[in-house]
Amino acid sequence: MTPTHSLTTHGSVEATPPRAFSVAWMRDLLIRHAMVVVMLLVMAYFSYRSAHFATLENFQTIAIAAAPFALIALGQTLVILTGGIDLSVGSVIALSAMAAAAIAKDHPDRLAPAVLVALLVGLLAGSVNGLLVSRLDVPPFIATLGMLTTASGLAYVIGDGAPINGLPANFGDIANTRILGVQAPVLVMILGIVALAVVMSRTSYGMRVYAVGGNRVAAELTGIKVPRILFSVYALSGLLAGVSGVILASRVSSGPPNLGSGYELDAIAAVVIGGASLMGGRGTIWGTALGLLLIQTLNNGLDLLVVPAYWQNVIKGVLIAAAVAVDVWANKRRT
Amino acid sequence: MFRKTLRLLALGGCAAALLATAGCGGAGDPGAGKTRVGVTVYDMSSFITQGKEGMEAYAEAHDMQLLWNSAGNDVSTQAGQIEQLVNQDVDAIVIVPVQADSLGPQLAQAKAKDIPVLAVNTTLSSSSSLAATVLPDDVKAGEQEMEMMAETLGGTGNIVILQGPLGSSPELDRTKGIQNVLAKYPDIEVLAKDTANWKRDEAVNKTKNWLSSFGGRIDGIVSENDDMGLGAVQALKEAGRKVPVVGIDGIEDGLRAVQSGAFIGSSLQHGRVELATGLAVAKRIIDGEPADKEYTYVMPPITSENVGTILQHVVSGKEQFLRQLPALVDENLKTGDIANENARGAS
Repeated sequence: MTPTHSLTTHGSVEATPPRAFSVAWMRDLLIRHAMVVVMLLVMAYFSYRSAHFATLENFQTIAIAAAPFALIALGQTLVILTGGIDLSVGSVIALSAMAAAAIAKDHPDRLAPAVLVALLVGLLAGSVNGLLVSRLDVPPFIATLGMLTTASGLAYVIGDGAPINGLPANFGDIANTRILGVQAPVLVMILGIVALAVVMSRTSYGMRVYAVGGNRVAAELTGIKVPRILFSVYALSGLLAGVSGVILASRVSSGPPNLGSGYELDAIAAVVIGGASLMGGRGTIWGTALGLLLIQTLNNGLDLLVVPAYWQNVIKGVLIAAAVAVDVWANKRRT
Repeated sequence: MFRKTLRLLALGGCAAALLATAGCGGAGDPGAGKTRVGVTVYDMSSFITQGKEGMEAYAEAHDMQLLWNSAGNDVSTQAGQIEQLVNQDVDAIVIVPVQADSLGPQLAQAKAKDIPVLAVNTTLSSSSSLAATVLPDDVKAGEQEMEMMAETLGGTGNIVILQGPLGSSPELDRTKGIQNVLAKYPDIEVLAKDTANWKRDEAVNKTKNWLSSFGGRIDGIVSENDDMGLGAVQALKEAGRKVPVVGIDGIEDGLRAVQSGAFIGSSLQHGRVELATGLAVAKRIIDGEPADKEYTYVMPPITSENVGTILQHVVSGKEQFLRQLPALVDENLKTGDIANENARGAS
């Protein structure tokens, strides 16, 4: 147990992320995240109970289900690192999906405008959140709650209250294209995780996000433009929700106005399971990826064992709370 | 300051909305002497959007005036809308309820003023004060889809079932219908059944997981609505498998799935016909003509044989269908088969 290593590299900032891909990083992951152990136990249990769990096909099944959640969980991680929260991602998914579906239906020959507009819609929604939080000092909970309701309402407006059906076949190709044998959304997820993990642990931008969440006043004193950082994390969260919306709508070739409702809770759960503190300043992208994997593995494994839906909810709820409790306990022991 | 402005804006908005509704009411004078029917629906779903078209077509053909309200899935909003309709002294009220267990006091108010009230699509627990109901037979829809599947499987095989939100009344009834038929086929085994909450994206993942678990053992997928069935079709596609899938509702994508062979069939719940029938029954009651207390909408089966005609009714030729609808609905009330829409193969 060497609790000091995270302070050795950057003494000035308390909650410095460990460096990626080093021995110290591995050790830190194990100590900091008793969650890895929990995860391995869960996987071992499912492998023992079902011969169909540990197969390549099933891991692909888990990955494709995880992809849309992963993107919003990544955005959520950055927001939570600054001490904020983004409740709006679920309905921003719906709004961007409806925008994509509406445009794809009107222009069946061209996909680019549909995708582009959906991403812009996500970015715009996120930017509004960002402006409210960073410039007008609206509490993130309230700002994004307002966006949750507004975006959901707008999604229904676009569809005139109904799902958009009868989409052109090529719209479904976006999420169903295979690159190197892997479905496109899975690749997007992997790219997103690796890219953000590097950004957060290796760049000054990542450092500044941690600093803002760790101690806002101190961050300001060191010359960090706090409002800019705050704006950027909400805008990014919105953009990623937009990507997620396109993936979801394309995968099912439909624009339901209630798409993604409640997804924000799974995203927040993934971040918290991953060891992030809702107070800000503590958490990692890898942790979030792990939390996400745990939730998705539970969804998958419990279905494999044909556990009824209501019991699935009970088991998931208890395991999530227990996992975080174990994590907190392990952290206390460490210090 | 900012907060004050917001509040002012909100007030202004409300006032404008109030004026607008009042304006609409006032402009209803050209309709003086017309039969006025108040309508309140749970929300503007795709089913209700269809239904509104059907009701408007019927109202226009019979020179009736509709006072249309949508409750945004809120029981108290719906209660308020009924109270307002009662105050406006309409000739009848057609309700598509948000929730079965509601609106008792409002029904009493309507009754006190001798305004007949009809419930369409979902009944109300205080049904004794209703003049009539027009309800879909969800048990029969469940039976119908399970029969289709059993026939396709030749009476033997393994299935999985995608259910609606557990405990909701269409889910309970459709599941009951499926069980009724399964009792006749001891050689059909249910490997798994679970809810995907009517949603395509949930059904895709649920079905994918089942395909992982049961692999080649799944011979058929029974879905309690088209959306979840379409999710199952997507999951099959991703897994590179093909087994028969059956749905209920006859939404546009579901009809296309029947046409392409991705679905073996579905059952048609056509909002235009069902809601127009509600209005037609209201007209009969207002005009003092004989009317039954309960009308049952038995969903016509959708198969590869009649799907072309139904696609015309629901999607491509819907304008023409709406023109014929008023006469069709009146004719159906005489024969008693209110779901009939002259689609080949759908008796």
